[in-house]
Amino acid sequence: MIIAMNTATLSMELSFPSELGYEKVARDAVAAFARRLGFDRERIEDLKTALGEACINAIEHGNGHVPGLHVAVSCICEGERLTIEVHDKGLNRYQGLGSGAAIDMKLQGLAPLRGMGLMMIAQLVDEAGFTESHDGGNHFRLSLYRRV
Amino acid sequence: MLEDELSVSTRERDGVAIIDLVGDVTTFAEEKINSAYAQVTSQGARYILMNFRQNDYINSAGIAILIGIVTEVNRNNQKLAVSGLSQHFQKIFRMVGLAQYAEIYQDEDEAVLALSAA
Repeated sequence: MIIAMNTATLSMELSFPSELGYEKVARDAVAAFARRLGFDRERIEDLKTALGEACINAIEHGNGHVPGLHVAVSCICEGERLTIEVHDKGLNRYQGLGSGAAIDMKLQGLAPLRGMGLMMIAQLVDEAGFTESHDGGNHFRLSLYRRV
Repeated sequence: MLEDELSVSTRERDGVAIIDLVGDVTTFAEEKINSAYAQVTSQGARYILMNFRQNDYINSAGIAILIGIVTEVNRNNQKLAVSGLSQHFQKIFRMVGLAQYAEIYQDEDEAVLALSAA
């Protein structure tokens, strides 16, 4: 796990192997960063859950659980907005995967039990979505605004 | 290497089978949670309380496991409730629709009182 922080531009970057569990380390690191930026507890909880889901997607889908492939997370705070980008190597494209089938469908066996991550992210942060990728990887961006 | 530590245990109180979940609820929790559910069901449980404690991390994979439990609960004509969730995870449970199928209570006492009176 590599963490680099730049307090002059209020940014941070980290990189971790594609193994489940490392997303917890990323959540904790970014939560600590957001806390120092003055985000309140509720927003940080939302951020932790959303970022965890984005990292799991990158680990499981984008990098196919290959430990040698790293997930990169970058954070930058501009004004009241904190933007976090999660980059993987793009072994699998998963944009639009599991777009949030209703629980009724899951209970009836008409949709997989999993596949709620993107739906949860969309509801927890102010902006979320895939951005254009020039390196073949999946680039997912989420943003939160600090409440003033 | 970074597998979550989740402690799952079962007990009975006033006719309610309680499954205590202490720790993180993620994909690594599947076997422990399903085993605990199978155990209380084999003992004839009609009312089941999933009592969460110290759960800093419940992710979508963990929630999928709980939806699987709801499927079994419905199939077996049982009643499921949850307690002990933080405000954040109560919000998440409502967001994904779990609260439609498992009543949320603030704590174990409140849940057991409601379930045992049902």
